[in-house]
Amino acid sequence: MSRHVAVVDLGYGDAGKGTVVDFLCATEEKRAVLRFNGGAQAAHNVITEDGRHHTFSQFGSGTLRGVPTHLTRFMVVDPLSLAGEAAALGNPFHLLTVDGEALLATPWHRAANQRRERAVRHGSCGMGVGETMAYASEHPDAPKVADVLSPARLRRRLAAVREALDVPGPPLDDVMEAFVAFGEAVRIVGPSWTSRLLAEGPCVFEGAQGVLLDEWRGWHPHTTWSTTTFDNALSLCPDLLRLGVTRTYTTRHGAGPFVTEAPLDLPEAHNGRDPWQGDFRVGHFDAVAHRYAVEVAGGVDALAITHLDVPDRSLSLRICTAYEVDGESWDRIEPGPPRDLGHQERLGERLRRARPAGMYRPGDWCEAIATHLGAPVLVESHGPGAADKKSR
Amino acid sequence: MGSGHWSTDVYTAAADFRAATGRSAFAYSDSGARTAHPDLDPDGVFMREARDSEEHPFSTPIAVLFDVTGSMGNVPRVLQTKLPQLLGLLTRKGYAVDPQIMFGAIGDATCDRAPLQIGQFESDNRMDEGLAKIVLEGGGGGQKHESYELALYFMARHTILDSLINRGRKGYLFIIGDEMPYPRVKPREVRAVIGDELREPIPTEDILAELKRKFDVYYILPTAAHHSGDKEVLSRWRKLLGQNVLELDDLDAVCETIALTVGLGEDAIDLEEGIADLTDVGSAAGGTVGRALSPLQRTPVVRSSFEIAGGGAGGNQRL
Repeated sequence: MSRHVAVVDLGYGDAGKGTVVDFLCATEEKRAVLRFNGGAQAAHNVITEDGRHHTFSQFGSGTLRGVPTHLTRFMVVDPLSLAGEAAALGNPFHLLTVDGEALLATPWHRAANQRRERAVRHGSCGMGVGETMAYASEHPDAPKVADVLSPARLRRRLAAVREALDVPGPPLDDVMEAFVAFGEAVRIVGPSWTSRLLAEGPCVFEGAQGVLLDEWRGWHPHTTWSTTTFDNALSLCPDLLRLGVTRTYTTRHGAGPFVTEAPLDLPEAHNGRDPWQGDFRVGHFDAVAHRYAVEVAGGVDALAITHLDVPDRSLSLRICTAYEVDGESWDRIEPGPPRDLGHQERLGERLRRARPAGMYRPGDWCEAIATHLGAPVLVESHGPGAADKKSR
Repeated sequence: MGSGHWSTDVYTAAADFRAATGRSAFAYSDSGARTAHPDLDPDGVFMREARDSEEHPFSTPIAVLFDVTGSMGNVPRVLQTKLPQLLGLLTRKGYAVDPQIMFGAIGDATCDRAPLQIGQFESDNRMDEGLAKIVLEGGGGGQKHESYELALYFMARHTILDSLINRGRKGYLFIIGDEMPYPRVKPREVRAVIGDELREPIPTEDILAELKRKFDVYYILPTAAHHSGDKEVLSRWRKLLGQNVLELDDLDAVCETIALTVGLGEDAIDLEEGIADLTDVGSAAGGTVGRALSPLQRTPVVRSSFEIAGGGAGGNQRL
């Protein structure tokens, strides 16, 4: 697969993008992993053949293979969280570049996010990513990564954030110090960096969250403030292989509609209850919602299916091909007009009333999911580690 | 998804980044390497090229070579963390068109295992990668001499600059150090380090005269270094380079000093404008840079100051 590939989760996140990206980087020489949405709230677990485990947040999931990471301008960069992650990885700053145009998440954005989350449970991660995007949409002078190279401007912009959000948090001087130190540790690059990487060799675009959480296409308001489809990646690189990742069953963190949720008793090593997002929820494979995801994502060229070992352990696991709502059958969630949050909210309300109908248990899970989603399977995964994967 | 896997404490983060900058910037050296990285080894190199390209049609070559021997103390480490910002400083205010930057390191050919390390001219952040591959010697001859003349020889005979060929514009060469060159380029060392066969030694003055046809050469003496303010060292370099010997009292200002020197050389700014620009981009280095660059200021009063070969900052005209 010597072309660029974008890895996007077709569900509510947690399908295994990290482990798939790691696998792609392990099986073929990749120039770089590019992150193109979200921020420090991502948590992509990778376990290598020799048992090394890391939960990737801002570093790309190819880091353990020595593949460089580039954080594109679509990222919300959180220097504080990055420091800890880098330290856990042995400070591979030589593998990291950051676009100067990317937004900076500050402790005050985080505090505002947590204040909001305490007031209205929404299922956010409490990392301030949405808050950072919201602030930037109203303030053209929102702090950006390149500002850390200009202390006077950085100070001005950080002070404005603090003033506008009016939340408790560390003193301005201390944040300044950490952000300037961040600027000395990371390589901040200009807009042409991405095209250079793309020209130098095959790259992997690593998505965060999942299409069903997309800011415009998810079940508003239970969405993330981020474009989780291929759109950002395609705007950086029009020619790439669109690889959709899905589990053999459906999972969801936090609140929000989840039609196929069921007590399947499938505990998760790296996904437990989280103080901000709440419980980790599981359910049958929701073919209806996943077909919708493929449709709003503009189609996929291939699939990576993870957790193929689970159906054998969970004999009650099924695939749901249709819902029943208000006495009617509903087997296709029709995409609404673009950027219509009212429509998305009504869709979410309807989904809350929907119940699974048309459940069945396939003989071959790979083939069944590929048929439902209309794309061939490129990677199948039978366990958490790189050795549990194979290309098809 | 998920969250909170890494501490977001502002104080831990600052300490982590600081700890990391020291280490990661020296990845190659700190991994125990004691010989020049293949990418920086001058042995057998025909030419290091600063070429015009479609993307960068008016290249401005800028080479920064620094002394990595023990007498420099922590200076090379600080330089290695500061220099990556140079490109941004040069481009942000338009001091130089299409800058192409090369980094290199100077040791002592009489006793070091990596007496000369020379990267490529790069017009993007690849230069950082070169910087990270530099081996820090930490040795040195202890004679107030290092093999600067060997570096001068390489730069004179093994670089090719399109700016010179296409437009008659010289490049900029900055040497950052605290000791003197040996008096002659020695054939034995040239053979061992670079691979050329010289029939006889070349006096340092002669190779410098040759080099000056290609580069404007500057010597920066950081006062944090060991022999800082040493009268013998200063007067030797002043004899070789005249006013182009700069004393720098704060190493943190090294990028600004180089950027402004290039800006002055390109007639993009005068010193006052340059210092105002620094304030503009949020740099606190204006005072330091002003002191360092006062010998270059083009007013009659200050121009005469380079004749004063006195040691220490007192030899400079204050602004």
